[in-house]
Amino acid sequence: MKRLAIGLLSVLLLTAAACSKQAPTQEEAKQQSEASQQKLVISIPAEPGPLDPAVSMDNNAWKLTYNSYERLIEYDGEKTDLVPGLAKEWTVSPDFKVYTFKLEPGHKFADGTEVNADAVKFTFDRILKVEKGPSDAFRKIKEIKVIDPYSVEFQLKEPNPLLLPRFAGNYASIVNPKVMEHEKDGDLAQAWLSSNTAGSGVYQLAEYKKGQYYKHTPNPHAKEKPAIGTVYFQINSDVSAARLKLTKGEIDIAEGIPVEQLLELEKDNHINLVKVPSLLVDYVYMNIGKGHEALKDKKVRQAISYGIDYQAIIRNIQKDTVIQLRGPVPEGLWGHDANAKMYNYDVDKAKQLMSESGKTGIELTLLYSATTPIWEPIALALQNDLSQIGITVKLNKVAYATMREMLDKGEFDLSLGMWTPDTADPWEFMSPWFDSESWGLSGNRSFYKNDEVDKMLREAASIQDKEKRLKLYQEISKIVNEDAVYAYLDQRQFLLPISDKVKGFKYNPMLDGIYNLENMSISE
Amino acid sequence: MWAIIRNRLLMLVLVIFGVSFITFLMSNVIPGDPARMIVGVKASEETYQRVREQMGLNDPLYIQYLHYVKGLLSGDLGTSLRTQQPVLDDLITYFPATMELVLFTFVVAIILGVAIGVLTAVKSNTVWDYVGRIFSISGASLPVFWSGLMVIILFYGVLGWLPASERIDLFVDAPPTITGLYTVDSLLGGNMKAFNNALLHLVLPVTVLAFAHLSTISRQIRASMLEVLQQDYIKTARANGLSSGLLIFRYALRNALMPTVTVVGLSIGSLLGGAVVTETIFNWPGLGKYVVDSIANLDFPAIMGFTIMIASGYVLINLIVDLLYMALDPQIRE
Repeated sequence: MKRLAIGLLSVLLLTAAACSKQAPTQEEAKQQSEASQQKLVISIPAEPGPLDPAVSMDNNAWKLTYNSYERLIEYDGEKTDLVPGLAKEWTVSPDFKVYTFKLEPGHKFADGTEVNADAVKFTFDRILKVEKGPSDAFRKIKEIKVIDPYSVEFQLKEPNPLLLPRFAGNYASIVNPKVMEHEKDGDLAQAWLSSNTAGSGVYQLAEYKKGQYYKHTPNPHAKEKPAIGTVYFQINSDVSAARLKLTKGEIDIAEGIPVEQLLELEKDNHINLVKVPSLLVDYVYMNIGKGHEALKDKKVRQAISYGIDYQAIIRNIQKDTVIQLRGPVPEGLWGHDANAKMYNYDVDKAKQLMSESGKTGIELTLLYSATTPIWEPIALALQNDLSQIGITVKLNKVAYATMREMLDKGEFDLSLGMWTPDTADPWEFMSPWFDSESWGLSGNRSFYKNDEVDKMLREAASIQDKEKRLKLYQEISKIVNEDAVYAYLDQRQFLLPISDKVKGFKYNPMLDGIYNLENMSISE
Repeated sequence: MWAIIRNRLLMLVLVIFGVSFITFLMSNVIPGDPARMIVGVKASEETYQRVREQMGLNDPLYIQYLHYVKGLLSGDLGTSLRTQQPVLDDLITYFPATMELVLFTFVVAIILGVAIGVLTAVKSNTVWDYVGRIFSISGASLPVFWSGLMVIILFYGVLGWLPASERIDLFVDAPPTITGLYTVDSLLGGNMKAFNNALLHLVLPVTVLAFAHLSTISRQIRASMLEVLQQDYIKTARANGLSSGLLIFRYALRNALMPTVTVVGLSIGSLLGGAVVTETIFNWPGLGKYVVDSIANLDFPAIMGFTIMIASGYVLINLIVDLLYMALDPQIRE
């Protein structure tokens, strides 16, 4: 009996030991479950600034949070059309002074709280109180009224027919009002939201390791469940090392790789190079208002526009990854004029215009910064091209922050620059660029002033009739092209090397550099 | 000895104020507006001006400096414009990564530097001497951005033996923070997987950085050793039949180490502040990378905090060097 009891006890103990060995600890279970999930690693070249949607105006920060939030309206996949987001429907009053949104019930923040009209009001009130860059998009709002838990009304100080697309921008991301629990010294939780998320998007920022990575995991309460379990945005400051990691399969997507290296990567069978037309344009500002006296003469500006060998830049520097920009509004955006006047390289014509202007011995500065590596060879090409028509160009390479200040103050003659729109409206390439009220960094970087153009621009911005606006913009295009306000260099393509394991990536020109993570997956 | 410590600490206070003043002035002379960096390029003039006011950038310069000093006295280095976090918190976060890199580099550079220095001195004007000197000089001559990239291509890209960058693999959990040094923390926590991984990640950056710094040590040791080996007491000891190992390491090296201590001290200082390129290439999340990002964004509070920290580090290292002198040379102690 005693032996039997001992035997039974031994069996029991052994079974218990075996069981305890089989049952993983909570930590092990978590690790196992994470290991079995799909993981996506995206390499970014630098750590962006604050992530708070009410603070950031930087695409590099937006891409880290866009999928963690939802907005009242959203962009439709690859198209620039607006589709319902948190709002299932909306109305705009005939006088464009009242925008009303009806929310779809059932959207939840990552903590399980439902998204309602109070959260919408809180978000926009907060943006206006924080008063940073994003507040500019909504400064015409007078009051936000909660009509019922799922209806919210925006009353404007003055009519604005162009406000709707702003609600699809990153800055209009709806924030959980509970963030105020993290408020410190009346900062409206800015410090906390600079490295955390509080939205109802499919992902939430689960971990941020300073200088190393941002780790996103699915929002457990989101309406849709993404295929990828963990998304890392890893900071790889050296792009050559990032390229190597991509070819070795350690990362899935590598940003910031220079054009010439991208074309090399294209030869790798396991890497797809995404190439789609974007709305990012490169152009040269000619400082009419505050720059060299000679630039006030239209003939000199036209001579410069004819004196640039656009095709050589496109072929030799941009490696045929761009197209020449025709007119101010790029191809792919409504309002683009396929018949707009395009300045082509014509040295004889440029020389003739220079001699008609009677100006000789002109010496102009050309401003650019090292932040965009391709600017250096473009600057050298321009220096060479313009020397052929008797203009000496002195290169002025400065830090990016310095460049921005000099652009704002108009302390340059010529400058390289680029521009990308926030909304799918030609207004983005018209009013900021040519309205004399936007002199400086906010858009009109050639410090151009033309009363007739100002009048037409303001009229086009105040009406919603697409045809009327189109006509006005075409009229304006003719005038500013004739005035040679800017030299339009090129319209870029969006280029992204991406592992062939990654499926479902879609590029939307309105969300440049932002990933549609909810539709992406990894195939092993 | 206490007098030296007291004087040096007093000097530290002066250095902090001097450095903060100069950095503050410089950051205000350089064109570039931090308010613009925050509001973005498309912001209106009204918003931009409001943010300038919020940041106190419209105050006279001396008022802005006084605000800064007031914060400094209470241990507040301000808030980073880029990360929106207190600068002190940022520096504390990034410091251990740099410290770990510097400590390992320091140990490797000293061991190799002393070994090469002794070898080239003892075997002076032989093949050993030439090879050792060429090796150490090439370390100082080859730029880190080039040698860094070469070792990454070879050991990561071609051979696949070592990781290219970071402190630890993305999918290996970092050890819980005790000292912030991954190797030490993983050992303390008994996590050998993390320890091995962190150690592997150290190999390439430490090799590159140590290679660049060992020539300073080896050349100093060689010169001092050559001088010491000519001294009468060495000749006497040799004549008395002392073994060459004992002679070199017990008598000659100890005396040759004296001037090397200063060089090593200064080299730690320059390593702390100068591992910028190495950190960028190897994606090492340390102070160097932090300050490069801060400079690119004109994040003045972060730049000033970093400068003050490095300057204080230099003063403290000098103090340690002085104390080491005392330990090594009884004459100074007296």
